[in-house]
Amino acid sequence: MIAATLLGWVTFIYFAAFVFYLIRMIRENENWGKLAGITTFAGLAVQSIALVIRWKTSYDLGMGHVPLANFYESLVFFAWSIVLLYGLMEWRLKNRALSVFVLPVAFLLLAYASIAPGMNNHIEPLIPALQSNWLTSHVLTCFMGYAAFTVAFALGVMFFVKKAFGAENSGQSTLLRLLPSDSQIDELNYSSVALGFIFLTLGIVTGSVWAHYAWGSYWSWDPKETWSLITWLFYAVMLHARLTRGWRGKRMAIMAIAGFACVLFTYLGVNLLPSLHSYLV
Amino acid sequence: MTKPSGIRSFFASVQLAIVLLSLIALFALIGTLVPQREAAGELAQHLSPALFSFLEKMQIFDLYSSIWFILLSTLLAVNITVCSLDRFPATWRRFRNRPVPLESSHFENLPPENRLQTTYDIRKAADVMENLLKKEYGKVDRQDEPDKSYLCAGRGHFSLFSVYVIHISILVFIAGAMIGSLFRVEGYVNLAEGETTDTIFLRGKESSLTLPFHVRCEKFTLERYPNGMPKSFRSDLTFFKEDKILHAGKLLVNHPLEVDGFRFYQASYGVVPGGKATLSLQKEGGGREVMNVAQGYTFDLPGGEGTFQVLRVEENLMEMGPAVKISVRSPKQETVFWIFQHIEEIRTSSPDIFEQVPVFNPGLFRPYTFALMGLEEKYSTGLQVNRDPGTTIVAVAAMMLICGLMLFLLSYSRHILVKIDSSSHQTQVLFTGQSYRNSGALQREIRNLADRVKTLLEEKT
Repeated sequence: MIAATLLGWVTFIYFAAFVFYLIRMIRENENWGKLAGITTFAGLAVQSIALVIRWKTSYDLGMGHVPLANFYESLVFFAWSIVLLYGLMEWRLKNRALSVFVLPVAFLLLAYASIAPGMNNHIEPLIPALQSNWLTSHVLTCFMGYAAFTVAFALGVMFFVKKAFGAENSGQSTLLRLLPSDSQIDELNYSSVALGFIFLTLGIVTGSVWAHYAWGSYWSWDPKETWSLITWLFYAVMLHARLTRGWRGKRMAIMAIAGFACVLFTYLGVNLLPSLHSYLV
Repeated sequence: MTKPSGIRSFFASVQLAIVLLSLIALFALIGTLVPQREAAGELAQHLSPALFSFLEKMQIFDLYSSIWFILLSTLLAVNITVCSLDRFPATWRRFRNRPVPLESSHFENLPPENRLQTTYDIRKAADVMENLLKKEYGKVDRQDEPDKSYLCAGRGHFSLFSVYVIHISILVFIAGAMIGSLFRVEGYVNLAEGETTDTIFLRGKESSLTLPFHVRCEKFTLERYPNGMPKSFRSDLTFFKEDKILHAGKLLVNHPLEVDGFRFYQASYGVVPGGKATLSLQKEGGGREVMNVAQGYTFDLPGGEGTFQVLRVEENLMEMGPAVKISVRSPKQETVFWIFQHIEEIRTSSPDIFEQVPVFNPGLFRPYTFALMGLEEKYSTGLQVNRDPGTTIVAVAAMMLICGLMLFLLSYSRHILVKIDSSSHQTQVLFTGQSYRNSGALQREIRNLADRVKTLLEEKT
């Protein structure tokens, strides 16, 4: 179980990166920022290697499937998607401020994957229902969507943290200077939600195609399906409110945070309800 | 312009769309919390009958096919249609017409990054600008005036239609879903190995449907992994119509079969009695024989005392487990009795059973003692049988939705406006842009363009 050991390290690497980013924010020293960036990249690289090893191991065991087949693997992949998306944003935008809000989510997901009681981290063969070419595309698109919504959530939190600090120090705090402007946050929030919306749509469509082949109906109002629709409708409302009603700033931040609650319920909460997706518990 | 009537402006509003989307989400949410359809029965015991029947009348227990859902979808369809028709002419104008930068008003209050100065004269600077814009955007509109030049270029105008593609896809989707809910057939049938049927049972209704062909289950195979988890469920099926075989092949989970417009899915499996039993026959002080029997089978007793016949094979007789009824005939008499598989357990719980019910004694015909070793079982396959004429329409809607969203995300319509004039004896170039969304990206694009023009204008001096 080299992969599991590596993933244990990754949890700490992400935590270390988070601490470095935090020190950078407080001391305003870009060297810490560079160190944090390198650490994050290293974490992502190690996690990718661990995923590939796990994938290969499943072939060596004669099962041969992508590491996206149970709850443990989904947690690990969710964390990976979040860090990947964040990494792309840091690289494109040349701004590291978001890390402090995004990395903790990835860290918590991985920590939960390794310490939650009863977590099954074994590689298991695929049950007949999961033996489909649609498994990869469905899970991949869904989690890329979740990751984009996580980034939007982090931006929403950042917006409120900024407001809280701004009120106290009337714009003089070091934290404030490193954080993007309100309009930048808003625009990033919108971009993340738009990206997430497309991935969620792809996730729902690939899921429907799969359901059409596996369950005999493209839609059967299974709780996970229904909640993914609720999440989709929520973000559809958010996009309409922004594009046609001109919602900005605080309202969008609140929507991003509330939308993330829908995402979490779609991902985890529906396990409390009886579901066809129950093999993911 | 005529003022739109009240009802039309009501349906043309985005607020209505937002309210409708929220309501659909809310109803979907209630549907996940309140047990639906068959599951609602349990709730009935906890609610007063009056409340339950009221909720049932309000279709709370069948929300997803309720009048509320149909009403909301219809309203949304009307809303989307009116909204799109209302806005399309303006979009069309935007698509066809470029902003004509005749006035200087577009270029007022520009930030310093959007201006640059050069030693070039106005016309030459405009030439450089025109070449660059041509390279980047294809078509450039240029307008030269005595002491200034205007240039305009644009890109991504097709994405103006992305919203219409998205919204039409939703209309197509609603149509497909409605066609599905009207004409969909959702049935199931359990078939034991060797069985043939042409009748399926409809889900949620207490009726059945006769298929225009017969289906026979030749064999069901359950494959397991070494750790015991199921690896594959497979039914070998034959479909035929009046002795003509339509299709014969295997059916696996995730690999449905389509026959005559009906799709067959491997949904479940079960175990049914195969009608055969294994009996053992022990002669006192003699040998033991084991045989496979079924109803109607007749055997000679090994000692030649007579024959016995299997009368019935029961899976579970009087809650006492599997049993076989046999009749032993000898020239003198006929003895009929039952052989239970779990006779030892039965005797332990009621020790005087043979005295009370002599026909339960497997040793009733001396000197033989019969024992039932087990009943043969065979698999039955659970087939889901569906037909949904709306599926193709929904698939088209999904494709349109994805294309529309991609067009929306990957591109946006914008115009780059440039004005070149002179200010304090130097030529100055002013950049601005117009877009209906994504102003941040546009600003970045303009700055990038300004930087490139700056290098070009510096190089040549």
